[in-house]
Amino acid sequence: MQDGKTPISRRRFLQTSMAAAAVGAGLQSPLVKGLVPRVQAAGSRPDQGEITSHFTACDMCFNRCGMIARKQNGVIKKLDPNPKCLKSRGMICARGNAAVKHIYNPDRLKYPLMRKGKRGEGNWERVSWEEALDYTAEQLMDIAEKHTRCGVMFTPGVDSQARFVQQFADVFGSYNITNHESLCLLSRNRAYLDTFGEVPYPDVLHSRYIIIAGANPLEAFITPDTTDLIEAKKNGCRIVVLDPRFTRTAALAHEWHQIRPGTDMAFFLALCHVIVKGERFCCPDKTFGYDKFVEHVAKYTPEWAEKECGIPARDISRIAHEITEAAPRAMVYPGRRTSDYEDSTQIRRAMAITNVLLDNWDRPGGLLASREVGVRSPFYHIPWYDDNPFDRVEAGKASGLFDDIGSFQLMREAVISGEPYPIRGWFSFKTNFMQTAPDRQKTIRMLDNIDFFVNIDIFMSDTAWFADVVLPGNSFLERKDPVHPLQGSSACACAFIRDPVVEDMFESRPPFWILQELSKRMGFGESFDFTIEEYRKKQVEGLDGALEIMHRDGIYFNPSKVYGIYAGSPLKTLSGVKEIYNQRYERSGDDPMPVYRRPSNPPEGQFRLVVGRTAFFTQSRTNNELLTEFMEENTLHMHPESAERLGLKNNDLVEVASRAGKDRLRLEIDEGIEKRTVYMATGFGSLSPQMSLVYKKGASIAEILEDTHDEITGNAAMHETLVSVRKVS
Amino acid sequence: MKKKYAMVVDSSVCIDCKACMVSCKVQHSLPRGHWRNWIKEMRPDFSLGKYTYGHFQPGNCMHCENPTCVHACPSGATYKDEETGIVQINEDFCIGCGNCIVACPYFARYRHPVRRVPDKCDYCQDRLAMGLQPACVDTCPTKARVFGDLNDPESEAAFLLRTRDTVKITTSPEDTKPNMYYLASTEPMDWPGEVKYPAAHSTMTGLVNPLFKIAVGLSGLAVAAMLIRQIFSGSESSEQEEKKEEA
Amino acid sequence: MQERMIPRHDKGGIFIHWFNAVCWITLTLTGLGLINEHWNPLGGWYPNLMRSLFGSPEMLLTVHMYLGLFWASVMIIYVLVRFRESLAFLKEIFSIRPARDMIWMVKKNIQMTMGEKMLKKLGMTPDIPPQGFYNAGQKLFAQVTVIAALVLIVTGVTMFLSTMVLNNPTPVAWSRTIHYLFAGLALAGLLVHIYMAAISREERPAFKSMLTGTVPESYARHHHELWYQQVKDRI
Repeated sequence: MQDGKTPISRRRFLQTSMAAAAVGAGLQSPLVKGLVPRVQAAGSRPDQGEITSHFTACDMCFNRCGMIARKQNGVIKKLDPNPKCLKSRGMICARGNAAVKHIYNPDRLKYPLMRKGKRGEGNWERVSWEEALDYTAEQLMDIAEKHTRCGVMFTPGVDSQARFVQQFADVFGSYNITNHESLCLLSRNRAYLDTFGEVPYPDVLHSRYIIIAGANPLEAFITPDTTDLIEAKKNGCRIVVLDPRFTRTAALAHEWHQIRPGTDMAFFLALCHVIVKGERFCCPDKTFGYDKFVEHVAKYTPEWAEKECGIPARDISRIAHEITEAAPRAMVYPGRRTSDYEDSTQIRRAMAITNVLLDNWDRPGGLLASREVGVRSPFYHIPWYDDNPFDRVEAGKASGLFDDIGSFQLMREAVISGEPYPIRGWFSFKTNFMQTAPDRQKTIRMLDNIDFFVNIDIFMSDTAWFADVVLPGNSFLERKDPVHPLQGSSACACAFIRDPVVEDMFESRPPFWILQELSKRMGFGESFDFTIEEYRKKQVEGLDGALEIMHRDGIYFNPSKVYGIYAGSPLKTLSGVKEIYNQRYERSGDDPMPVYRRPSNPPEGQFRLVVGRTAFFTQSRTNNELLTEFMEENTLHMHPESAERLGLKNNDLVEVASRAGKDRLRLEIDEGIEKRTVYMATGFGSLSPQMSLVYKKGASIAEILEDTHDEITGNAAMHETLVSVRKVS
Repeated sequence: MKKKYAMVVDSSVCIDCKACMVSCKVQHSLPRGHWRNWIKEMRPDFSLGKYTYGHFQPGNCMHCENPTCVHACPSGATYKDEETGIVQINEDFCIGCGNCIVACPYFARYRHPVRRVPDKCDYCQDRLAMGLQPACVDTCPTKARVFGDLNDPESEAAFLLRTRDTVKITTSPEDTKPNMYYLASTEPMDWPGEVKYPAAHSTMTGLVNPLFKIAVGLSGLAVAAMLIRQIFSGSESSEQEEKKEEA
Repeated sequence: MQERMIPRHDKGGIFIHWFNAVCWITLTLTGLGLINEHWNPLGGWYPNLMRSLFGSPEMLLTVHMYLGLFWASVMIIYVLVRFRESLAFLKEIFSIRPARDMIWMVKKNIQMTMGEKMLKKLGMTPDIPPQGFYNAGQKLFAQVTVIAALVLIVTGVTMFLSTMVLNNPTPVAWSRTIHYLFAGLALAGLLVHIYMAAISREERPAFKSMLTGTVPESYARHHHELWYQQVKDRI
């Protein structure tokens, strides 16, 4: 054999290459592909399974933005905006997106619970619905027997089914129904009702000049205002913000004045002074009391106002000129939460009167009347109970009290004192006064006089924590809800329904079912003898195809009039025109035109506490793992100079104390806050361990805020508390 | 026609509401403490008094034209998709060396704590396949983010780029040529880090790779030389062998 | 006259040699396909080809990883089962005599590449120092391969475990670099080894011995004299 390279035979070559090809092909077979090491752990690959889309409306706050829920394998994976929803401008915010962690929150209430041991101990026993409902019905009837039907107070929350709680309370026979609104916007409503006869909806989108005072729409979302404000700004609208804090709204405004807290009235009275002095208001004859008002504001000069509010006189004058130039497409933004000062209604009256002087009522870029939606409220019979007291328990305690809402704080006092008559029961649905009402200790004291307390919620909120019976409600994604109408200013007048996207989780039930069951046990079952479908049909009587449209598009629009709704008709005021001078106030002993009252200056070492919230939390609905990532605990914001004077550094643990109580949280240095003011966000310092993400984290405003309220409406006054701050560690 | 997906952002309307961050997080089941997108904020200058302003800047992976993350990958597990312009991560091919995470000057990538591979914005490909916009774009209350195909002149993104002034947040010393365009102006601009490659990577490309080529090249040369010698002086050595056998 | 054949490699040795040959070549070919196309030493076409040949990049990686693990497992088992032989082998390849080995390296390199004439031209004598079981070149290659094997196993396992259990990516990044470096060094040596073993006519008997296990006596005497002297009487 020759010693040389052994040539590779052709056969060998073919064999080898075919083998290689076969191996290559084999490696591409699914069987072998399955051997490819898949990256470990869940979430690495999109789940298999069809994705279905379902209309719903968000319930993470009161705005009810149109939503599309994406469901896969029976689980809601994502919530997207419903692009057809004009009110929300086809968007959803951080909270809406985070709703998946609300429905699937491990802290959710799963089954009915009854208290064993003392209130606040947290000793719960799981019971059946049967037992819970029987007991609740029995207790409520017991109180009705001993203390009349008005012996039970009802607090329905902001919800599509709150109307049923209202109906239940009405048919049960109690007048003592209150809700969160007395912690929120009653003073605004009062002021505008008493000026324009209606609570207006601002047409932000078409406005050219907007003053925002004491409101923060770029963080505290209001649809469509939040989106429209930015859109208006892009179209040349000038935005002026008055706020002792440098909020996001202030950050994006054209001008931000760090107004001394509580002095807004001075600013607006001075603004009005410039307007009337310069005769820059076109239509005094369309109002009541203009001449009196001119006299009234003579002394409220810009120079005077500067001393009160800290904003330079020349700025006040300039703004007055600028805004009247832009008028009638100009406004003082009414805002929403106005639960700040004891003269909060009067402050908003000054703002409402300024709006009158801008002649912007019922016109583009101004304040709009309610638009017709067309959704009816089915009639129900309200029985009369002979032994019932004459009126609600806080009647007469405030001159401008809203008869149908009252005031939680005034009611609380009545419960504590037992005067004019006792209230011994509390039926709470989706309200959380233990965390949101000023003076938490007082709320706890109130419970001493409450024999029976039943709470419906989806979480063991701080309020539920103190209840006797806790009933698990279902979340909005599990709900079948009646038609709910919404006002969207110039964006739309609309209505929506909800159908379940997933089934009721655990043993949770809708409030409607709970009320039906209770009513059967309490002898008025016929009042709730209907289905949601039947109810809906009654609601949309006269609106052809409305339900079909809601099913098809997720939202129904009523193309009703936007502007000129009044068109010559009289306003719903005593005079029939815009009331600058309010006659009813005169009669009830309140200032018929706003009179400035200087807020107290915090003494050395003390601060005025103001409260608020961020774009990613809704008041006390903070127990959400997606949202707490942005803020795990609230902090006390303080100006660096003030902190230095107290020897405080960023992140120090401080104790904030008022006459109502004290609590601890970390300090945050904030260059943008007024020097004598401190700020904290709501929703922390929870007492309930089942609000696990906020339990003992940060501090609760309820603990620190003192029990003060607006004189006219009983609306909470949350910015009247002066606090001392000291370092703890 | 190949797509060139990009984003055009009007940061002047961003209100820092965090909707985009939560939307993205839910869409992709991201782990706590990590984000695929962000909102930067500039520190306000309060000396401006009543004209003090704030500016918020949303952002995410910029799917750069010159992606340093792609260059830093030893295997090419991360690559720029020619069809779409999206910088992709082939997770099954990635071995989790972490080079790409360091090489991104925008800190757009993070190491997934459970999967141990890099994670970043992928323009919501699953949503694109469903005909939806990326999660962050869809949810934004002020519509600050616009997403689109720059190669499609009808798209809003292309239109904005054509008709408006834009700025990019560029980096040095290497310009990654980001595909995120901010309308008019934006702040802050100075937040990106430097483009830097981890020592392991620069050693690989700067030392080992050339060394490899040299070593194997030399070796190959030596073999070639020996082979040539063998072929051409074949008779010579066979003579020698015959001599040895006789010995 | 029929020449006497001297046993050189036993069945185990033969098996493990070819086992290594197949594995190292496949691992090298697949491994090179795992390098970023932008700076792949063979050019961008190579990784693209390999990845499509195997169906997908991750399949290529899978094959490389599992083959590597398989190879490492067999090697470890082999060393444990044939512990004495392995120790002897290591002793042999790491017994270096610097002066003798250096001379061999220099002279042999020049002789193989440029011929004996060049040797004479450079003023060196054509006689090459006698070698043991392995000549200096073989020893060097073996040293490189053994060290590379250890490093490749350690770095390879690190990379394999990376996405499964490792929380710090830095060792993985360095493993990548070092794995590549040592694979490269081994490859450089491998090219020479393949030439020497399979192509060079001079070494033909050695190649044959990797199949039969024996070498001709004359070959042994000429190429591995020291070893021949040790074993010639024992045959």
